[in-house]
Amino acid sequence: MLSIVREEREKHNMKRILRVKVVNGRLSGAVSDALSFGWECLTQEGDLQGVVLDIEDAPLKVLCGSCGKPFTPEDAHYMPCPVCGEILGHEIESGRELYIDEIEADIDEAESAAESDAEPHTGD
Amino acid sequence: MGKTVTIVRNVMEANERRAVKLKEYFDKEKILCLNLMSSPGAGKTSLLERTLADLKGEFKMAVIEGDLQTDNDARRVAATGAQAVQVNTEGGCHLDGSMIEDAVAELDMQGLDILFIENVGNLVCPAEFNLGEDHKVSILSVTEGDDKPEKYPLMFHLSSVMLLNKTDLLPYVDFSLEVASAHAKKLNKDIEIFPVACRKGDGLDAWYDWLRKARAAKR
Repeated sequence: MLSIVREEREKHNMKRILRVKVVNGRLSGAVSDALSFGWECLTQEGDLQGVVLDIEDAPLKVLCGSCGKPFTPEDAHYMPCPVCGEILGHEIESGRELYIDEIEADIDEAESAAESDAEPHTGD
Repeated sequence: MGKTVTIVRNVMEANERRAVKLKEYFDKEKILCLNLMSSPGAGKTSLLERTLADLKGEFKMAVIEGDLQTDNDARRVAATGAQAVQVNTEGGCHLDGSMIEDAVAELDMQGLDILFIENVGNLVCPAEFNLGEDHKVSILSVTEGDDKPEKYPLMFHLSSVMLLNKTDLLPYVDFSLEVASAHAKKLNKDIEIFPVACRKGDGLDAWYDWLRKARAAKR
């Protein structure tokens, strides 16, 4: 996560990063509390000191294995379909994701503008 | 107030990139790659010792052994005559794509039929890291309890096969093959389940038949 954030900082000429937002699906395998704790430990000092980590927990969405109806189960282990009652074979539509969604930062606009001027528009 | 930049990058992307490259390599070389996962002591190495010895004449096989410390397991499987390379994670609880790239570079991959990756003993993290394998295979021993698929769902959800090992100990433990199988099927209706006793060799024929089929599908 830190290396992605550093790469994006370079790419977008960010002067100072304020906040990083991560989306964590219910079945991603990463525990949000543990992510927060790890982030806190790794940003105690250094170039990302004090950057806020904002975690959005994304729900699990499945398609019923029998009737195909999409639903959001309350329990990630026992998931009866609200329409037909099927508990087996559901297809996971979303909930496994873990990604950096956005970064809020002070951006060096002068440098950004200079760079985009320098790059000729190729039209693709 | 700063400016918000949309990023949308998968946190696991570095590993996913490596897994994709490894999968392309295994496909090109027509090598069946299997990622074996279980708790410590469920019998991954015993299963491999049996499999490597019994199918020696049929397939050319190699093993990547993942452990925190020691090369005990690599020595055990190498005793069957198969190529083995040990990866010590020095405390890491799972194998990742870069470790497999390094291990593959150490092996002679020429003409290999099956590459087994024995992951670090752990029912949680190994399931998170794709290694470019064709199938994940989980092993659950009857001494661990039949509720493990329910407690550690991801591994069983992603596995093509679940081996229920140490069935020779069933008379001494409260473990129901039916309950464990039902929990696993609830997570993954297509999972194939083979009860085995590696020490005695019971039930291994079904596992070998599955291996032959998976191998044939790779040609």
